[in-house]
Amino acid sequence: MAADVSAPTLGARFKRPSVIGLLGLLFVAALVFWLIVNLIKTPSDFGDVFLIGITNGSVYALIALGYTLVYGILELINFAHGDVFMLAGMFTITFSTHFFGLHQGQGWVTVPIVFATLLLAMLACGSINAAIEFVAYRPLRGAPRLAPLITAIGVSFIIQDIGLAWKGPNYVTAPDVFPHSNVFSAGGVDYSWNKLIVVLVTIPVLLALLWLVQETRQGKAMRATAQDKDAAAIMGINVNRTISFTFLIAGALAGAAGTLYSLWATTVRFDQGFQLGLIAFTAAVLGGIGNLPGAVLGAVLIGLIQAFNEGLNWHAPGSDWTQSIVFSILILILVFRPEGLLGEKTPEGG
Amino acid sequence: MSANGRSPGAPILEVGDVHTYYGSIHALKGVSLTVNDGEIVTLLGANGAGKTTTLRSINGLNRPRQGSIRFDGRDITTVPAHEIVRRGIAQSPEGRRLFPRMTVTENLEMGAFQRHDRSEIREDMERVFELFPRLQERRSQKAGTMSGGEQQMCAIGRALMARPKLLLLDEPSLGLAPIFVERIFDIIRQINEQGTSILLVEQNALMALDAADRGYVLETGRIVLADDAASLKTNEEVRKTYLGET
Ligand SMILES: Nc1ncnc2c1ncn2[C@@H]1O[C@H](COP(=O)(O)OP(=O)(O)O)[C@@H](O)[C@H]1O
Ligand SMILES: [Mg+2]
Repeated sequence: MAADVSAPTLGARFKRPSVIGLLGLLFVAALVFWLIVNLIKTPSDFGDVFLIGITNGSVYALIALGYTLVYGILELINFAHGDVFMLAGMFTITFSTHFFGLHQGQGWVTVPIVFATLLLAMLACGSINAAIEFVAYRPLRGAPRLAPLITAIGVSFIIQDIGLAWKGPNYVTAPDVFPHSNVFSAGGVDYSWNKLIVVLVTIPVLLALLWLVQETRQGKAMRATAQDKDAAAIMGINVNRTISFTFLIAGALAGAAGTLYSLWATTVRFDQGFQLGLIAFTAAVLGGIGNLPGAVLGAVLIGLIQAFNEGLNWHAPGSDWTQSIVFSILILILVFRPEGLLGEKTPEGG
Repeated sequence: MSANGRSPGAPILEVGDVHTYYGSIHALKGVSLTVNDGEIVTLLGANGAGKTTTLRSINGLNRPRQGSIRFDGRDITTVPAHEIVRRGIAQSPEGRRLFPRMTVTENLEMGAFQRHDRSEIREDMERVFELFPRLQERRSQKAGTMSGGEQQMCAIGRALMARPKLLLLDEPSLGLAPIFVERIFDIIRQINEQGTSILLVEQNALMALDAADRGYVLETGRIVLADDAASLKTNEEVRKTYLGET
């Protein structure tokens, strides 16, 4: 304390670059150098990889928003969220092929089937997520924070086992119905329809969510509940119902993500939720957990980082390293900027 | 006769032998009190006496294990917190509890959350701004960034936005500069004159008894004194304990 008081203001303004700060700068410089070399060496690959990153990033955004919404309202890291996303992929396969008989080359009828599948998956995952909250988290509302966290890990395992029992231990394929033809092709960079479709469906969903949270009565109730539950209750807000609603929305977003991802990547496996959940969670933390635009920004950045890592030619670590890199990013943010890129230090948070 | 010159009406709030717990901690050990229509009633007591718990029992945040609470002729003992404001009880809670990342205007709108009469809500907001011109200046500021006095005004304004029949105020003067304290008590009187009954929890006993019609003194979860405000002010026990006289 005494050191704080006596430290001259100059010291605060011109902070001597610490060893860690220097290392960080060097690292960022090396990263930029690496990207530029790749861009120069193989510009068309760079462009392709960039587009893949954006596409994955928009799916991650949908998942990351679920983490951030739930964290915002309960300060709970819902470890089961990635697995709900995985379930959505399985629902997508079941609904689209078994209910609607979707397969490749059906022409325009594909469109309503995909939309119906999307809506059903959103509905199913929204309901499941709300049910998870009701059964697994609500009874622990007054318990120490660790209790719901451990429960969330348990729920994650349970959902994985359900997925395992439902579709087996191997990859199951989803119908490859998004057209692979190009939207445009310039300088060797191909932008195919299947990538664009993912982004085109994601954007209105994101806008709808933002509108919901910012403008509607339910959204106001969500924001108030996130900031102070008792105060929200005495305003006349049904706090439990608002929390249920938040889980419903988060689950629906995971449902949308699961449908898009499974139809784009065309494979689903019971343990897929773990890795993608980790990536999306990191995205949420990177953007500032609890911050909606932050989750989208973080997701796009993580999507790009992953794509560059897995797709670039010149000295890229490759997909074996993706999890390590994502985890390293998570640790670095938690250590050096826990409020994330867009998160603000709130007065009550200190 | 009431301090505002009107004679008090029928009981609007009746708290009867209420016992409230935090887990196994027995915080209220049979509290009974009444607020009549149009009155300002003050609830005095030292830190930890159970004043806040009494208000939380009334507004549904801590359900009593025993006893009853009647409001406006109906039993509300087991009515959930989010229904209470619809019945006509609003509160400015201890510590103000504004929504820190919302603006002043948004906070005031939250106070009217359960109402749907849009044009009247807007009128009420203008009335709150008349009462607290300072809030109007700060209407687009985030509530969490305001001073304690401004936050207190916002918390009272937010409660008024519910158009309550009964207003619960929990230590509205706590931590405020003396000129703010005067202002807050003036406004409490004004609100009461416009017809809202008030249950005022205070540690600032002198100011509270000046504003109130009647008062109760709470000690470790029990009411130990109940009288007219004027009589309480001259009561020796009260003078010793709460008005700092020896
Ligand atoms: N959240 C809580 N958990 C456990 N005990 C509490 C809690 N809040 C208050 N208490 C206890 O209940 C009693 C009454 O507290 P409170 O109503 O806050 O008093 P006051 O508002 O008069 O200062 C005190 O003994 C206090 O320690
Ligand atoms: Mg108190």
